[in-house]
Amino acid sequence: MRFGLILLGIIGICSVVGSVIPQGEAVAFYAKKYQELHGYILLLGLDDVFHGWFFITVSALLCLNLTFCSILRINNVVRAAKTERNRAAVMPDEKTLTARGMELLRGALEQRRCNKTERSGVTLYNKNGFGRYGTFLVHLSILLTVIFGVAALSLPTVTDRSCFPGEALTMEDGTQIHVHSFHIEDSEGNLDYASLLSITLPDGRESAKTEIRVNHPLSFGSYKVYQQTYGTAGSITVRNLETGGEDRFILNEYALLSMDGQNGIWYEALFPGYLRDEDGNFTLITSTSGHYDDPVYQVLVSQDGEFTPVLAFPGDVLEVAGVAYAFNAPVEYPGLRIKHTPVLLNALLIASFVLMIAGLYLSFFMQPVLVKVSENGYAVAGVKSEGIRLDLETLLAGEIVPDSPIETEEKSK
Amino acid sequence: MMNVLFFGSLVLLFAALCLEFAALSFKKDTLARFAWYSFLGGFAALTLYLIARGIIAHRFPLSNQFEFGAAFAWGIALMLIILRLRLKAEWLSAVAMPMAFLVLSYAALQPREITELMPALRSTWFVFHIGSAVFSYSAFILAGCVGVRYLLLVRKSDADELKLHQMDYLSYRLVALGFLLLTVVILTGAIWAEQAWSSFWTWDPKEVWALITWILYAVYLHLRLNRKHSGTKMAWFVIIAVPVVLFTFVGVNTLMPGLHSYG
Ligand code: HEM
Repeated sequence: MRFGLILLGIIGICSVVGSVIPQGEAVAFYAKKYQELHGYILLLGLDDVFHGWFFITVSALLCLNLTFCSILRINNVVRAAKTERNRAAVMPDEKTLTARGMELLRGALEQRRCNKTERSGVTLYNKNGFGRYGTFLVHLSILLTVIFGVAALSLPTVTDRSCFPGEALTMEDGTQIHVHSFHIEDSEGNLDYASLLSITLPDGRESAKTEIRVNHPLSFGSYKVYQQTYGTAGSITVRNLETGGEDRFILNEYALLSMDGQNGIWYEALFPGYLRDEDGNFTLITSTSGHYDDPVYQVLVSQDGEFTPVLAFPGDVLEVAGVAYAFNAPVEYPGLRIKHTPVLLNALLIASFVLMIAGLYLSFFMQPVLVKVSENGYAVAGVKSEGIRLDLETLLAGEIVPDSPIETEEKSK
Repeated sequence: MMNVLFFGSLVLLFAALCLEFAALSFKKDTLARFAWYSFLGGFAALTLYLIARGIIAHRFPLSNQFEFGAAFAWGIALMLIILRLRLKAEWLSAVAMPMAFLVLSYAALQPREITELMPALRSTWFVFHIGSAVFSYSAFILAGCVGVRYLLLVRKSDADELKLHQMDYLSYRLVALGFLLLTVVILTGAIWAEQAWSSFWTWDPKEVWALITWILYAVYLHLRLNRKHSGTKMAWFVIIAVPVVLFTFVGVNTLMPGLHSYG
């Protein structure tokens, strides 16, 4: 166990170092912050302690140590449990009590709802025998948590993608993530940032339409989709005045909208607001709040080889070469984080968490009690007996009969 | 009204610890009784304050340094009350009352206005995660307080062995409770982080310091299994661990920016 504790100590020290020195920054950052020391920091890998070979080796050694010094010894614990009562029954008394002491003792053990068995002329009181397995469960669950934890941190693939409402993202395996709608504010005007999504798996199974927001991702199959960020994009409806055909485009980057590849409009940018001075000049402003209170489109009209910069507002329509470009209110769209995790991995990790809590509960709050009570004394047996021993000593403090010299001598034999 | 309750509890806790010290210095039981009543009054005022704050804010009042500090002081006070009632641990008051007062004073220095919960904190895990942290840290602080009393008692030549053992064991039980709850804090935090940010663990400074605290107390639990380590050593251990707990609570937020900077 000593080696295990040393390893734990090393992990603790590495953690302190890893929290004091900022992790994963660029070389220039360390050079500026630590001056001439930065060479040592980089050399020793202190800029990425938790993924360095040293930390990983120590953690792996701890897992091995845990396995050999505790988990694989479960047989001994089970074997000891089987013979524990027989051994307790023949134990000599630890303390001799007055008659009142004996009454108090039996009363206390009965009040604790201990099971009572008569064996070899003595009474055995016991309970919480299962508590002995608490430590085993704790150590096993720590091992499983490390194994599944490392897997859960390294195996999933995480991608960040944005998607306009009404469109879908197609993943490599054919899974489709449909974004039905997105809103920043709920119906009462509170900031909400929620997307309505559904997922269709390659085998055709489809999730229910679900609203996702911070803390409430949508899980389906081996996918989990998070509401991550949002953006605002321009929306322009293009209508062919001759045929009446119509299409709507959502744009958030430089693009040409044109029927013939020449005449049309170049979408340049969408601004959240503007200021207009007395002479009617516009100053476009970029928002810091994320609100598009007075949106303005900045476009270039391209006609017969000439380019004319134009500012357009929602509701405006520009006609260029037989095509009408109608500027709509901007569209808000979500930035999604898509996580693909091997099936069952998260469930296994969370099961290890539950096991750890259960193990600790058993270790600390279901401590085994095994007390042998003879005619005029008692002995505490079993594992983890400190608590019950102390309780009985406290309860019976004034009721203990000092051992006669003969008894003491016999005991020491 | 809210300020009256909060500062009322601060004043009553301060009065309690002054009376407790006076009672110890002059060996007057009546003063000790008044100290206790004052402490109970301070606890009641703080309880009402936290309930009222929760009702006004429509959430558990655990979401920033002020609220966590106030809840932390409340946790220490509650545990002291339980220990006094169940184990007649009057001897603990002189050390635990100042701790409750100190933590509440720290809270008093923080901005107190009620703010809306930021979206990342709106989660069911929030209550489990932070609620367990309050009680876990409180248990560790009280274990340290028991350690102090142990060291004071062990120096006396006529120290009662049984009493010393009881103190050592109480300190162990408090660490055990704190350790179980800290495990809940770390694991619920991991599940919550995965729900909110997609990763169970990011080596954020607050996570790392919770892990350091966890390792520290795991070492305590193992050292204590070895009977060779005396009660005195273990008492020093739980006392020295207290600044680590306080650093995890206060220091990390102020000195090391990360995902938990708001909490
Ligand atoms: C992160 C690492 C570890 C944690 C959190 C942990 C936790 C625990 C806990 C909670 C107990 C029960 C203590 C009590 O009932 O007072 C325990 C007992 C024990 N641990 Fe660990 N442990 C860890 C690592 C290790 C390692 C590496 C070893 C061995 C090399 C080890 C060996 C033992 C032994 C022998 C016991 C006593 C078993 C018993 O009496 O039932 N532990 N541990």
